[in-house]
Amino acid sequence: MKQLPLLDPGRPDTRSPTRFLLWVGEQQLGTLALGMGFGVVWMLAQALLPYVLGRAVDDGLAAGDNRALLEWAAVLLALGTVQAFAGVARHRAAVSNWLQASFRMVQVVAHHAARMGPAVRAKVTTGEVVATVSNDAMRAGGAFDITARLAGAIASYFVVAAILLSSSSVLGLVVLLGVPILVLSLSFVIRPLQARQREQREEVGRLTALGADTVSGLRVLRGIGGEQVFLGRYRTRSEQVRRAGVRVALPQSTLDSAQVLLPGIFVVIVTWLGARLAVEGRIRPGELVAFYGYAAFLVIPLRTAAETVDKITRAYVGAARMLEILRVEPQVGEPAVAAAEPPPGLPLTDRRSGLVVEPGLFTCVVSAAPQEGVELVDRLGRFVDDEGVWLGSVRVTDLPVEVVRRRILVSETDPMLFSGTLHGELDPWGSATEAEVRTAIEVANAEDVLDALPEGLDGLVEERGRSLSGGQRQRLVLARALVADPEILLLVEPTSAVDAHTEARIARRLREARRGKTTVVLTASPLVLDQAERVVFLEGGRIAATGTHRELLQSTLAYRATVTREEEDDAA
Amino acid sequence: MSERLPIADGSEVRAHAAALFHRHRRPLGAVLGLHALAAVAGLAGPRLLGELVQAVKEGTTTAHIDRVVALLAVFVLAQTVLTWFARRASFVLSEEVFARLREDFMGRVLALPLSTVERAGTGDLVSRTTADVDALARTVRFAIPETMIAAVTTLLTVVAAILVSPIASLPVVVGLPAILIGTRWYLRRAPEGYLWERAAYATMTGTVGETVDGGRTVEALGLGRRRIERVDADLADAYRAERRTLYLRTIWFPTVEIAYVLPVATALVWGGWLVSSGRASIGAVTAVALYVQQLADPVDRLISWLDEIQVGATSFARLMGVAKVPDDREATGDEPEHERLCASDVRYAYREDHDVLHGLDLDLEPGERIAVVGPSGAGKSTLGRLLAGIHPPRTGRVEVGDVRLVDLDLESLRREVALVTQEQHVFVGTLADNLRLARVGSTDEELLAALEAVDARPWAEALPDGLETVVGAGGFPLTPPQQQQVALARLVLADPHTLVLDEATSLLDPRAARHLERSLGFVLEGRTVVAIAHRLQSAHDADRVAVIENGKLSELGTHDELVEQEGSYAALWESWHG
Repeated sequence: MKQLPLLDPGRPDTRSPTRFLLWVGEQQLGTLALGMGFGVVWMLAQALLPYVLGRAVDDGLAAGDNRALLEWAAVLLALGTVQAFAGVARHRAAVSNWLQASFRMVQVVAHHAARMGPAVRAKVTTGEVVATVSNDAMRAGGAFDITARLAGAIASYFVVAAILLSSSSVLGLVVLLGVPILVLSLSFVIRPLQARQREQREEVGRLTALGADTVSGLRVLRGIGGEQVFLGRYRTRSEQVRRAGVRVALPQSTLDSAQVLLPGIFVVIVTWLGARLAVEGRIRPGELVAFYGYAAFLVIPLRTAAETVDKITRAYVGAARMLEILRVEPQVGEPAVAAAEPPPGLPLTDRRSGLVVEPGLFTCVVSAAPQEGVELVDRLGRFVDDEGVWLGSVRVTDLPVEVVRRRILVSETDPMLFSGTLHGELDPWGSATEAEVRTAIEVANAEDVLDALPEGLDGLVEERGRSLSGGQRQRLVLARALVADPEILLLVEPTSAVDAHTEARIARRLREARRGKTTVVLTASPLVLDQAERVVFLEGGRIAATGTHRELLQSTLAYRATVTREEEDDAA
Repeated sequence: MSERLPIADGSEVRAHAAALFHRHRRPLGAVLGLHALAAVAGLAGPRLLGELVQAVKEGTTTAHIDRVVALLAVFVLAQTVLTWFARRASFVLSEEVFARLREDFMGRVLALPLSTVERAGTGDLVSRTTADVDALARTVRFAIPETMIAAVTTLLTVVAAILVSPIASLPVVVGLPAILIGTRWYLRRAPEGYLWERAAYATMTGTVGETVDGGRTVEALGLGRRRIERVDADLADAYRAERRTLYLRTIWFPTVEIAYVLPVATALVWGGWLVSSGRASIGAVTAVALYVQQLADPVDRLISWLDEIQVGATSFARLMGVAKVPDDREATGDEPEHERLCASDVRYAYREDHDVLHGLDLDLEPGERIAVVGPSGAGKSTLGRLLAGIHPPRTGRVEVGDVRLVDLDLESLRREVALVTQEQHVFVGTLADNLRLARVGSTDEELLAALEAVDARPWAEALPDGLETVVGAGGFPLTPPQQQQVALARLVLADPHTLVLDEATSLLDPRAARHLERSLGFVLEGRTVVAIAHRLQSAHDADRVAVIENGKLSELGTHDELVEQEGSYAALWESWHG
């Protein structure tokens, strides 16, 4: 089997769902052909079992020839063995087809999402991406899985029809025309079933969401009250899901009984015609047994054909959802012509606010309106294309995005802490020594997290850092930014969720750790501002005052009001 | 860090399952009866075909043939109709069973002890409510009914063969050893493999979710490559799990497949000997051979659902595990005589022999506002939980009006004291639903008054549908300060005389918090307040300040007193205020 996941899933054809699915298929033509080959052998072996059974009845039982009976029984066993092994080979090829296709689709979607960063959420929700990867991509692989069985179904259909045709043209025609008609009538039952199953899935989805929402707020419900009301809500939804299930039961049981009736009709007609031929002496009794067997066998290709329609429809719908994500484009563009990278140690300038970040200093920025501070960081960190930001004498928009990210690192208030080992998540680049990581943890005053993990740095951080408190997460994120040790570090409210004791300690250590390096902290906390070498106060998005914290406290009333959170009227 | 909820063990799972069957035994009996009738109708085919073969062999008329085939047609129709009713009844029943199952589960979750909820967090419960309930759906809807139907059909097919000719039916057992041994081998290994697959895919989707949610972090830190590698590593694990189960099936499938053909071949040879020695007719042997061949279908369905049932059982065990959590309080019926809250000599340990509070005393004056400050991990939050009656202290007492908090039932406790944390939740539902949970039966006027009290009435009334606007995930988005105001309005409605605020506003932008603190001010008015605070401003405004260090009360007094003492509080205040 092919080694998965693929080293390189390739560049998909995103022009249409059909082209996308064809592209996926093209990458695994060999496995597809292999599966079809085994599928044909497997299904034909099954189709021929009635023939052997019939010969055993005729040449053995009816003729009273036990030696011939033994021989035909041996053939039956051999054919059964071929069927068993071709069956498992077919299964392996089909699973390989399914996995190759599904994994390739998961990879192209997930990789694209990782490359596009924040642009993805601007177009689709996280839940949709997760559903597309876990449901759509995994299910769409089913369309490739079924090809092996479909090939067998088509081959066996023609072989059975040919056998019957050689005995009686009427019988042959019954099968030749009957099977397509029955497949068609099955699809009439399947359509309404699928529609109701969709409704049911939607209802189930709503119930699951309600359950998750209720349980997420369990602390509120148990602390303040309202459990009975919410249990009532859940029960009402659950009842709706039950009703949707009952609505599915109708077409579902119709489909199930159709799967009894339709081949049953075959069995009756074929047996009737066959028995008449037998009475006329045109076929032997054993052949009648074989005819009965063929008719009963035909249910398998019949079902396979119906299933194929279902799987391809699902794959198409899933492919359309995948394309929605694959068509997301990055938020900031690369320059047409990249400028030469400026040397380190140059000031970072924002023309719009007038801010000049002096190299090697610990600068704090206080913004009277929080939104304006956030916009400033977006410009400086190049999360928007703004022509007015310069690194030395080069526009940052003229530099490749990768260069900007490497030199200017932004770490925000509540960023993501990913699951993994503590060491791996604090140094995702693998660039620092263990001692450096430990130092960063100490600076961020996150020793308590390290101490709480029995495995220390190799201890695991849960998904989204859920097992940690907001304050612990924030301190680890700060440590991560320190491990990166960028030329210019931009921190946004790095200590908003930690207590005053700790905040004061972190601010002191941070200044020490970044001594001689360029650091900008957007904050309004006096404990941090007190450590800054230079404080810049923004009003209306422009620089209003510059100085040290203590100087500004004395000189600028608006500054004092912003950072001490005293009312303007009683500040003086 | 967070404590895990229990999982039901094997015997408990069996007991719960037996109770479930017992509860639905009547409709279950009816469903199985219908299926048995349908199966019987389906067994006419081979027998009638055997008769035809015998008749042709002995010479017959087309009129007889027509009669036999007409009978066959009748049975096909009967089987069709019976199958329809049987299937429908069984789908309806399984929907019913599953609905009761998940509703009972939710009922148990919503009755979980307060201390368990606070300590275990909600992550594990959310995955039980979503993933496990979903995983069980397939088991309850398909696996269990299919298995029962297949068992009935198998049994009846064997009976039908025996009715035709007991002696010719002996080969039925030939395939049995291989099926039993092969399936047993498979079932011992399969669930582990399928659970591995499930876990691997769950990890993979978790990784993708993190990547998308943290898109900005991925971009800012240049983690794109690493996230791609992570997804590929998760897929590699899923692939290993898939390879494992594929290997198991590669052994198991051919084993049972051959075991299905073997009895057919044996039935023929054995039948030939019976016919030639005059012990059975050709028709009977043919019919039995067809029955034996037909047996493969129900047997295959029977055994192929077993692994699904095993996997479903693990989800079932997780759902039923919630029932194992014992209640954490037993109301004594004592009523508090006054509103004074006292903690005396309390100690508390999350782990044995690791006290985080070391004999702490704190008496609250009714109506006073006390700020609790101190470094992380000093025990501030633990003290808050004890004062809110969530956990009982290991030693010592926390009482209101001379009654221990843990001796009050939950309803009474909520009238006395409430804990407010930074973790707030706006439920999917109308704004009114979100408020009314605090006092069921409140009128719209009361809700608006509560919003007014926290300065939230203007924006609430400006919502598209006012109080009836759907908020929460997917609904009208509320800003974090608005969410916090909803939480505060709930407190106004619940109206406890004492509030414990644990960093209630700390995750907010400090400047948004300023406005919010004004809203909070209204709520706090006239109540006793314990405020665990990060921001020293609230300590300054409090009546008294308690400094907790290393699980002990190190300083207690008014702001001015503590500043004068020149202890650790004074040092902090100095650097804060400049």
